[in-house]
Amino acid sequence: MNKWIFISYVVFLTIFTLFSYLFVDGNLPYLQFLFTDFAFKNRLITTIAYSTLLSLFFGYYFYFIRLVQQKKLSMGNIRLLVIVTIGILLLAYPAMLSYDIFNYITTAKVTYFYHENPYIIMPIEFIHDPLLLFTHAANKIALYGPTWILFSGVPFFLGFGNFLLTLFLFKITAALSFFGVLFLYYKLHKDHMSLVLFAMNPLVLIETLVSGHNDMFVMFLVFLGIFFIQKNKFTGWLLFILSIGVKYATLFLFPIFLLSLFYKNLNKKSFFQLSAIMMFIIFLLSPLREEIYPWYAIWFLPFVFLSGRRLFIILTISLCFGLLLRYIPFMLLGTYLDPTPEIKIIVMVIPVFLAAVSYLLWLKKSFHYYQ
Amino acid sequence: MKHSAFIFILLIVFWISSSTDTLAKSSYVLPYPSVMPGGLSYKVHLIWETINQYWYFGDFGQFEYNLKQSDKYLVEAKTLFEYEQFLLGVDSLKKSDEYFKKAPSHLRQAAKNHKDISIKQKELRTASERHVEVLSQMEKIFPEIIHWIPEKVAPTDLPLHSLLYSSIQIRSNYE
Repeated sequence: MNKWIFISYVVFLTIFTLFSYLFVDGNLPYLQFLFTDFAFKNRLITTIAYSTLLSLFFGYYFYFIRLVQQKKLSMGNIRLLVIVTIGILLLAYPAMLSYDIFNYITTAKVTYFYHENPYIIMPIEFIHDPLLLFTHAANKIALYGPTWILFSGVPFFLGFGNFLLTLFLFKITAALSFFGVLFLYYKLHKDHMSLVLFAMNPLVLIETLVSGHNDMFVMFLVFLGIFFIQKNKFTGWLLFILSIGVKYATLFLFPIFLLSLFYKNLNKKSFFQLSAIMMFIIFLLSPLREEIYPWYAIWFLPFVFLSGRRLFIILTISLCFGLLLRYIPFMLLGTYLDPTPEIKIIVMVIPVFLAAVSYLLWLKKSFHYYQ
Repeated sequence: MKHSAFIFILLIVFWISSSTDTLAKSSYVLPYPSVMPGGLSYKVHLIWETINQYWYFGDFGQFEYNLKQSDKYLVEAKTLFEYEQFLLGVDSLKKSDEYFKKAPSHLRQAAKNHKDISIKQKELRTASERHVEVLSQMEKIFPEIIHWIPEKVAPTDLPLHSLLYSSIQIRSNYE
């Protein structure tokens, strides 16, 4: 790997991290000293900067994929890239694109500080609680399953009532889950390409290391389940059931786990392909609950990259780009109302459409070439 | 061709599946009548209620549970009275009173635990007003005393107005 490209990547990640602090909420008393209101007052500049950074992120991603294709990226290089990426992005402001991490903390506070059932009592019922100033879904009961509610006690207690420490402990939880998934990913499928496709994917990195979404914790439990199911069926199934208890989405993997139990000839590739299809279906069904959120892609991404299907992978990467573009309408217009929902769909679909057309043209060209 | 069809279907599904929904919460209202006494399902319902008591842990949780139960039994009592099942109705009314009496104590406990109870106090006040409204209506509709003659058991007099008056007092003077 070129030394200067690596240095430029480190600089890029640092700029991305600093950029995230332009989004610090004015209502967040713990980071008032970093509040500039820049992102909310200079929406056009912020949107252009975000789009540019996003394009650069994907540029580096394609570059790393190319290096793997050319067999110029060693395992040591990948390890270094992952550690550096985690180390830098972990420092980013987590509520740049989503406020979910505040929900995690607030729900944990309802459970472990107020000793109330978060499935019955909403955070908003604790009037004057300082977290209500910046928590966006305070008027909802717990959105996550019991596994997450139980586990969230760990970072919450380790935070010792210090908000910033707790906030970064939740991010560290996401980072550790990511690290765990990568370890198991390589253990299960010793392939550099699928590892880089997943580990360096901008959507995975932004949603896990910047925003600290718990979806990576779900995938960690799933992959740990897959890893154990070959050795100890009980532990494997238990971990899989625990993963369902975080966000319920992995319930869609139940038939695949069951199939692997009765159909011994099901190879790894078929297992991952079927899992990718099932998790993509639940991803598409997510608007039935609310809407397609970019981080939901984490449910199927690891399986798609393990499936080895070229078309799937191309469409998935373009979808990742499209999903991250979904943040742009709100960033630019500052409203969730019309036309934001329509623009969100358009910007999400266009990259997939362009990738599909390019792929078809490439296929057609190759067909003529061979004729 | 196979690829084109796959991509086309994918894009269509993608487009259709992108929508949003909304959330809403109504103001304080009494529930619809639930399962009525007399059948096996009612016994199952009672077991479910007992389990729920533990699910609603915490000061606010217990407050919500007791108030919800009081609401439910009040509606049950009214419905049973309307169907002239006075003996069962009186039992339900007494249950509603007991649950209502417990609710404020959980709020006091919450206050002791440094929780702001002002919204819950308002909720309790609104609930008590609504309960009193329903009980007063019942006082107007139903006779003062009912001479109840059940099967195989000695007849009894049910002083409905006196019971309803006592229920109103519980809700008016809970503080």
